[in-house]
Amino acid sequence: MRRDGHDGTAGTERADGRRAAAREVVVTGAGLAVPGLTLPDELLGAVREGGFDPHTGLTGREMRHKDRGSRLALRATEPALRDAGLYGEDGFGGDGDTTAVLVSSNFGILDSVCAFTDIIARDTVTGLSPLGLPQTSSNVTAGSVAMRHGLRGPNITLCNGPTSGLDAVYWARGVIAAGRAETAVVIGVEPAGDAVTKLLGAPVLDGAVALVLESRTGAEARGARARATVGGYARAADRAAAVAAVTSGRAAGPPGLWLTEGDGSPAPGQGPVPGAAAFDLQARLGPCAGALGVLQCAAAVAHFDAGRDGAVLATAGGAGDDAVAALLLTGPRG
Amino acid sequence: MSRDIVGMGAVASIGSTPEEIFDSLCAGRTGLAGLRAFDTTKYRAKRAYEIDDRARPGADEPGRATRWLKAAVGRALADAGHPGDLADVPVLVGTTLQEQRSAELWWKEGTPLDTAGLHFGTALRETFGATRTYTFANACAASLYALAMATDLIEAGEADTVVVAGTDALGESAFGTLDRVQNDVPEALRPFDRSHKGMLMGEGAVAVVVRRAAAPGQRVYARLRAVGVNCDAHHPTAPDPAGITRVLRDAYRRAGVGPEDIDLVMLHGSGTPKNDTTEAGVLSALFEPGAGPLMTAVKSMTGHTLGGSGLLSLVMAVLATRRGTVPPVLGLTDPVPEAAGLRLVRHQAAAARIGIAQVDAFGFGGINAVAILEAAR
Repeated sequence: MRRDGHDGTAGTERADGRRAAAREVVVTGAGLAVPGLTLPDELLGAVREGGFDPHTGLTGREMRHKDRGSRLALRATEPALRDAGLYGEDGFGGDGDTTAVLVSSNFGILDSVCAFTDIIARDTVTGLSPLGLPQTSSNVTAGSVAMRHGLRGPNITLCNGPTSGLDAVYWARGVIAAGRAETAVVIGVEPAGDAVTKLLGAPVLDGAVALVLESRTGAEARGARARATVGGYARAADRAAAVAAVTSGRAAGPPGLWLTEGDGSPAPGQGPVPGAAAFDLQARLGPCAGALGVLQCAAAVAHFDAGRDGAVLATAGGAGDDAVAALLLTGPRG
Repeated sequence: MSRDIVGMGAVASIGSTPEEIFDSLCAGRTGLAGLRAFDTTKYRAKRAYEIDDRARPGADEPGRATRWLKAAVGRALADAGHPGDLADVPVLVGTTLQEQRSAELWWKEGTPLDTAGLHFGTALRETFGATRTYTFANACAASLYALAMATDLIEAGEADTVVVAGTDALGESAFGTLDRVQNDVPEALRPFDRSHKGMLMGEGAVAVVVRRAAAPGQRVYARLRAVGVNCDAHHPTAPDPAGITRVLRDAYRRAGVGPEDIDLVMLHGSGTPKNDTTEAGVLSALFEPGAGPLMTAVKSMTGHTLGGSGLLSLVMAVLATRRGTVPPVLGLTDPVPEAAGLRLVRHQAAAARIGIAQVDAFGFGGINAVAILEAAR
């Protein structure tokens, strides 16, 4: 395990040997397509009437021939772009060439894959629909979002287990810090289906969440409001090591909110996070799998939007998983 | 700024080390055989480039992509003289199907499936103690995408050593849907030949150890100049010449080279009429007719090894620089018109001094990656 650069402000060694300050990355938009919810503050307990309904919310021309994961992702992406001020009457208003798409999903196409094997067994391959071809590759959703909005930057799909959502946010910051993109749309999506329910023993989220990330300088240049700052990240052997890597040496005191899995009570060897209120999004939403980390970041945006105190620590993964990821988010000013 | 490649491992249908695979390529040995993985009565295509390692012939088994990944990573580490403890070393794995085949066998036949085994971090933790592990499901550009991100990690000062890998085993939903979609039924993967009828899948895994700079006295196989990545945002499965042109320009810019500097192109060359005409068309516009770099396409003998295919091409390019030999495109006798001005190596391996090599990898979702490699002498 190793801590990544200095709470997200890692210096970058340039070819000329000069160390230039790397770009600080901020969140400028968040959007949800989560059953029963409308806005990110509802992740932290705000209550509104209505909310997204996958039974009625996944229709329309642009949804035709799309897999369920892509439909959910498209439904979350548009409000996130709108929230960031990057979506108007003519659609996406940013620079497509410099906008990346990152998607986290652990089970996004599992139901398609299992359904196709059933069809082959019953009818041979001639029973398959040719339109299903994109759905045999997990990156179908990232491709759908890129095509819908003309996003031609790096296009990256993570299927990385319980930490996958936080990992996607980390890599989104990475492609911006490396200058491969100016803006990144980060999506966490887990569509429900029979195979996923059978595998997990419970229905998965059946929803999506999207964030817009960009460099602070880029956001300032276009007059967009930063909502949260993406800080230190680590993927480590256990929770204590991951948390220590992103919080040690911080002068600002303990985080104000700890978004975690389970009740947050320290398991042996996992270590507590003193002073932080623990909150598990999955207590209400059920298993979020690859969407969890991205949902946690959307909740962090709501935390800062409400003017609440303290940084937000997000952790995903636990004992029994291959690793635990931790990500620290600080307020709009960093 | 270049990065040093100090260790390599690979397994494919035609060899279980990079050197074996390269020797097979130069000898024109193909991995093509009758389809072993599935009940052939259910498919139009009856052939593939599989690794013939199942315990019981005719009975598929879960976990093969993971098994080869561990073998390739282990070989690359040993090759680099690395002790094999990856606690502080990021491992970036590019894959198209992950362990999709294991999920299919669970669904169809009830073989046990652990959700933790669907991403490769679990096996990499068990075997190498690795925790900074990432499974990138970036279709057939995946392993070169992973390589691009490895260079970013080193550039940002977040790592000095990164292991980059790719792996894929045949899955029946992917194999079957491709089989359903292709107009013709290919007997073999014949890139850039007028007789090309489409893609046939292959199996394999590949790994490289990339370092900021080799240790004193450590062997440097080649230097990685840069990797460019992008997305067409054009079509779910068909390539787009504009997107491929953009990624080439980006890779050249990052690497500080121009088309005139390229001595060898490892083509994506998937054997689908769309890929071959698009890729050949873009390259024909870039290079001087008849005077550009040598070009080859390893999928003519390995089949399309999906997520790992780009990195496998790169490892073969490394060996081409060291051996001064470029393997031929097997089965290429009558090139498509778009490739008329390209110097595709045909019939037998060509002797050539290779300084700079370009490696193409394009995938579903319109994602493209191009790596630029420099010989280490």
